[in-house]
Order: sequence, then structure tokens, then C-alpha cells
Amino acid sequence: MGLLLCLPTIGWSVAQEPQAQPSTLTNSPFEPANPKVETLDEIMLKISGMTGDIVWKASKGEILGSGNEITYIAPGKPDQEMITVTDATGKVATLAFEVGGFLELHLKDILFLFIVGFIGGLVSGFIGSGGAFVLTPAMMSMGVPAIMAVASNMCHKFPKALVGSIKRAKYGQVDLKLGLIMGISAEAGVLYGASIQTQIKEAFGDVGSNLYVSFVFVVVLAIVGGYVLRDAIKIYKQSDSVGAKEHEITKLARWVQSVNIPGTMMYFPSLGTKISVLFTIPLGFATGMLAATIAVGGFIGVPAMMYVLGAPGLMASATELVIAFVMGMGGTIKYALDGFVDIRLAMVILAGSLFGVQLGAIGTTYVKDFMVKMVMGVIMILVLFSRGLKVPVYLSEMGEIEPLSETTISILNYTSFGMLIFALATGAIIILYALIKGYMKHAKEEALAEEFSIAQATTDEEVETFPASAIQLSPTGRLKNVLLVSDKSEASRGAESEAIKLVQRTDGRLSAMSVLMINPEHESLARQLIEAEDNSSIAHLETVQKSAEKAGVNCDINIRHGIEIYQEILEEAERKQIDVIVMGRRGYTGLKRLMMGSNTAKVIGHAQCNILVVPKFAKIEGKRILVAVDGSRYGDIAANAAVKMAKYLHAPILLVSVVQSELKEKRHIETVEIIKRVESFIKQEGVVVEAQILSGRPAMSIIEIAENKGVDLIVVGSHGRTGLDRILMGSVSDRIIGYAQCAILVAKA
Amino acid sequence: MGTKTGAMIQTVSLGLLSAILYFLLYYFNETILDWSKQGGWYFIVPISIAFIFSLVHGTFTGHFWDLLGVKAKSVKKRG
Repeated sequence: MGLLLCLPTIGWSVAQEPQAQPSTLTNSPFEPANPKVETLDEIMLKISGMTGDIVWKASKGEILGSGNEITYIAPGKPDQEMITVTDATGKVATLAFEVGGFLELHLKDILFLFIVGFIGGLVSGFIGSGGAFVLTPAMMSMGVPAIMAVASNMCHKFPKALVGSIKRAKYGQVDLKLGLIMGISAEAGVLYGASIQTQIKEAFGDVGSNLYVSFVFVVVLAIVGGYVLRDAIKIYKQSDSVGAKEHEITKLARWVQSVNIPGTMMYFPSLGTKISVLFTIPLGFATGMLAATIAVGGFIGVPAMMYVLGAPGLMASATELVIAFVMGMGGTIKYALDGFVDIRLAMVILAGSLFGVQLGAIGTTYVKDFMVKMVMGVIMILVLFSRGLKVPVYLSEMGEIEPLSETTISILNYTSFGMLIFALATGAIIILYALIKGYMKHAKEEALAEEFSIAQATTDEEVETFPASAIQLSPTGRLKNVLLVSDKSEASRGAESEAIKLVQRTDGRLSAMSVLMINPEHESLARQLIEAEDNSSIAHLETVQKSAEKAGVNCDINIRHGIEIYQEILEEAERKQIDVIVMGRRGYTGLKRLMMGSNTAKVIGHAQCNILVVPKFAKIEGKRILVAVDGSRYGDIAANAAVKMAKYLHAPILLVSVVQSELKEKRHIETVEIIKRVESFIKQEGVVVEAQILSGRPAMSIIEIAENKGVDLIVVGSHGRTGLDRILMGSVSDRIIGYAQCAILVAKA
Repeated sequence: MGTKTGAMIQTVSLGLLSAILYFLLYYFNETILDWSKQGGWYFIVPISIAFIFSLVHGTFTGHFWDLLGVKAKSVKKRG
């Protein structure tokens, strides 16, 4: 869709003739009179009408040779060039032209860009937007022409916007309709803004374009930066404002939603009502224009959706990603067609920014809200001054004001660059300091909490509720420290109630956890996203906690974040010295399970402790426990665990071993021996047991007999194969877990 | 821990892939810039490069921080 809108505008701008550069003599003695030069180009320049010794001077590039024909080498940076030729008689001729093309990149430039990208990402991940506020000016300070800075900036952002919006759409946070409708007007705004940029560049050269962009920056930063600082100070004075803000619709939004202009009304899911598109159009257009001019768009889009249209904060941010993608791609394509996208700049910045944005987004969870705004405001004001100082320089170069002296220009340039570096450094230092402090404080708190909970656990051990056995208390088969893993979905229901019941029976300790997979790639979401998801998970775990309390069981709650869910689970289990992890089951089977890489399978593969998998509707009532043994020590571990469970549940055991029918008589005899040994152990423990030898495929025969005999708990051991091994060799426990209707205990310890 | 080694291998391979992509960008940078300048359908060059780098490098950096243990603050409540 964006492409269709692009084409007519592009066609129009291609048809425009570039304006000729004026030279000081009406009939130019130079040949070529209007050289088209790019960075590092070498061209021959000839002059006529000169007598005697001819002296050539270039303000930016290099001259090779002498006489009336020389070789000119363009500088590595796009710039205004002025060539002056003087002859023996004192006659002077000048040739002014622009060196275009891409910036020559040295290692120091690449390093600078990477660091700037990192800090830009850090800042934008932290404050939720505004990376471009530092990126565009930083590139300009480096010598990149404004239009190229904006174009390259846009280029590195829109792919992230696409990825981000797809991810958020899965969680239902994207109002696609609003995004597309605003995207269309934003697209128009971008193309209009981009063509203005291109025209300014053609009419006034890079200087004019730099001036234009800097001017817009100064205005926008003054307004927004000032507002943000004021807001930060207000929040600070109000002291701790507690947690989640309720979604309040501003008065303005209320009015907007009430306006009815027939023929222009459209319904938007995020607003829950119809509003006139006459409101969305200017907002989208303004966002687009600003994006094309300084590469900052979300800055208007998100607050506009929230405060003018009345969309909830998180949805506004997520929907903004759609707009950012649509106009980002459109704008980049438009600029790319004109050759303004320097992909190298964009990718180096991307390299740094992707590191920074994740760190910033994570860091944002460790600091107070006002700090975020404070950082934002301070950086903006500093960048404002940095750009502002360059305005007189540009005006002087364009001849709009009295030309400034060389020294003044130098001073202004250095000060501007210095302020920019200062802004970047300040932002980075504040954020990193707050992050480290917050992280260390949190780590200390966690360590203290851990010591406390371990101390508690050891005191609980004294109490024994089941009849002591003749054999000494075995270290295996402990089921007292229970970790419940819940993902809020229906699939965890069974696990939740069974975990509570288990702790009741064993008089143990219950911890409930959820793992949230947050990969904050796109800036504008991080803080709100993490908060919102945390809150919803906490709310759910709190209901579990309440149910536990009703059953007389204490329950800890924990939310962890990470990329690999199973890793977080296992780390938590290690830390709390968990005896059994209780999880639900997604119900994927076969190929899907393989492809999806079930978390349960991974946990089982790597865990050191027992795992109890509870399908949604399964209940453990003590009807019958099935344990499968195979003569290995894994089978023995399973038998041990089964006996423990049988005592807690007062249930009989059904002991099975599966013989694969192709094997000979010898195997059968061996199996009988195995079964007999385990059977007598169980009897010795005082548990009722029935033994059976099954034949056929292990998993399926076990499931079949479990169903036939009304088994409500299957206990198996696990070889603990992981990865490819597990896929190739197959895992009996995996198959049983996939197909069984009742709960399964995978005994590992 | 077995899981940590697996995670480390994954992260390192992604990092290597990302590094290779960047090296290729550096090595062929003149050609790529020439292509980008040509207008017409060549605009697809910088666009697709942006997408590929975004995906690979983005995944790498996510795993990188996670491996180092830099994660969003976990929330705990006592029962």
C-alpha cells in the first residue's frame, strides 16, 4: 500500500530539473563549468583565458598538477567546495560546487557511530522513544549531511518496527485498523516532508538542508524538552506515585470521541468507539512530516493517540509500531530512490543500538518513573543547544547574515560538537548509574530473601507426617519443596490445584512462578510493556496464592524474565532447592511438539529434581498409582518416588514393566526378576501392589493400561536425554506426557 | 549446567553470524553503495539489508544480555 502512494510523488520529483549552480562569471572559463562531484572523486579541471603562472587553490579538496589543466581530488566528506584560480596578471576566477556522495568512513567514524548508536539505543530503550533525538544530530555533527542522516536513521528503524508490531499483535495490543488509517496519512506526511527536504537541498545545497533540519530540531526540542522536564520535576515533588496508572481519558479525548461528523466516522477497537477520521488525518500527517524532517515520529504519534484520541497507553505504543513501519518504509524507499540512504551508517548504528536498547529497556524496570523523564529532558535541552549553536554557522555559510570570522565558526563548531558529546555522555552515565544501583539493590534484596527462605525450609524438615519406614529415610523421593509454574492459561489450571494439594499432603512449601518472555527490541514499549505483563501475571498468581491460603498453605510468588523459559524455571528450582516442579501441559503432540520445543520437555531433560505434569482436567485422588520400571536405576528411582506418593495418597500401586514382543524368552525371564524385586520392596514399604508384565510399544501400552485400570498418577523415570538425542532416540516419558489423560510424575531424584 | 552451555553456544553462533554479515557489508561496501544509488528497483538493496541485519543482530543481542544475566527485574511476593 505504501508503495502505491510512493510512486506518483517519486515520479514527480524525478521529473524536476536540478537547479544549476551559479558561478561568479556569466560565461564560465572553467571546463566543466558545472562539475558533478562525489566524495573522493578525481576529475580534470581546465581553465581558459588565463596568462602566465596559474595558481590553483581548493578550499576542501586537493589539487594535483599545474598550468591550465589540473586534477582535482574531492574530499572524503560531502561539502561545499570553492576553487580559486589566480594568474600572473592578478585575474581571479572562482568555481563553487557541491561535493555530494557518501561520507568516507574511517575506523574512528565507525567507532563513533557504534558508540552513538549504543547510547541512542540505551536512551530510547530507557525513555521509550527519542533515540533519534541524539542519533540525527550526532550524525550531523560528524559531517553527514542532514538529509542523509535522516534517511539512514529511518532505514535502521523501520525493520525493528515491523518485528515489534508482529510480536505485539500476537498479544492483541495492536489496533491494526487505527495503525493503517493513521499510517496512510503519515505516509502522505512523510512523502511530503521528504520532497520538501529534497527540494531544499537542491535549491540551497547541503547547508540549507542542515539549517532547515537544525531549526526544526531547536523548535521541537524546546517545546518537548521543556515540557518533559517540567513533568519530571512535578512527579519528583509528588514523591512516590504508586504503580499502575488507571486508564484515564483526557478531557480532550472525551470531546474528540463525542464529535460526530457524518460521512467521516470510523470504528476503532482500541478506542472502543467511533471517531471522525478528520482527527486522525492531521495527526498522522504531522507525525509523518516530522519523521521525514528529523527522523523522529513516534514522539507525536503515541501521545497523540493517547491524549487526543483516548487510546490506552500500551495499545497506543504498540499501534504506533504499525505507523512507524508503514511510514518508515515509505520514507526510506523515497530517500533510497534519490540515493540518500547510506546503508553503512544505518547498519553500524543498528549494531550499537540493538545492544543499547535491550539494556535500556531492562534498566527501566529498576528505576523510578521521574528519573526516566529527567534523563529525557536533560538530554533534549543539551541537544537543543548543540544544534542551536550551529544555526548561525549555517546562516553565515549561506550568506544570509554577515559572514562570521573563521575563529568564531571554529569555536561554534567545537562547542556544538562538545555539547553533543556531553549530552550523550550525561545520558549514558545517568542511565548506567541508575541501572547498576538499582540492580545491586535488587540483588541484595534477593540474597536476603533466599537466606530467609532456606532457613525456613530447614526448620520445617523436622515435622514428619507419614509412617516412618523400617529402612532409613532415603534421600530420594522428597516431595516437600514444590515449585508451581503457571502461564496464566487454561493449561495450568490442573497444575495449580494439584500443587496446592501436594503441599497440603506433604506439609511442604509452595512457590508459584511465571516466566515472561520479554525481548524489548523496539523502544517505545519497554517500560509499559514489562509493567503491564508483570501486573497481569502477578494478579493471576495472587489468585493462586489465595486458593493456597484457603487450603492452609503458604505460597510465595515470583515473576521472572528471560528469553528461554525453561532456563528460568530450572534456575529458580536450583535456587530454592526444589524437590518437585509442577507444570501444566500444552497438549502439543508429534511433529508440532518437536517443532515447538515444548518447555516441559526441556525442563524434564535438564532438571535435577522431580517434575509433575498435570493435564488441564487431571485430578490426583489416590485411586491408583502406576509405576513403570525397566531394571535400570532410573526405574528404581521411579519406584521410590511412587512409594512415597502412595503413602501420601494412601493409594495402591500398579507395577508394570514392558517387554518388547520381538525379544526372546530370556528377556521375559529377566523382566520377571526385575518386577519381583521391586514388588517385594514395595510390599516391604507397606503399600498394596499389583504387578503386570506388558508387551508392545512401551508408551502406548502404559497409557492403555492406565486408562483401563483407572490410574490417576503415572510415575516414570527419565534417562534425561536432551536435544537431538532425545528427538532421535525418542523419549518414553515425552510420549506418555503427550498422550496420557492423567497426571505424570517424572522421577529424577 | 547443561542449559548454560547450550545457551552460550547459541549466543556465540548468532554473534558469529552477525559478525560475518557485518564483515560482508564492509568488504562489499562500495558495490552495495553503487547499487543503492542507482534508483529504480535497486532501493530493495538497502531495505533488505536492513531487515536481515535487524533480525540476526537483534536476536543475538537479546541472547547476549540474557546470557550475562541482565534481565528485567523479577518480582517477588512472600506468601
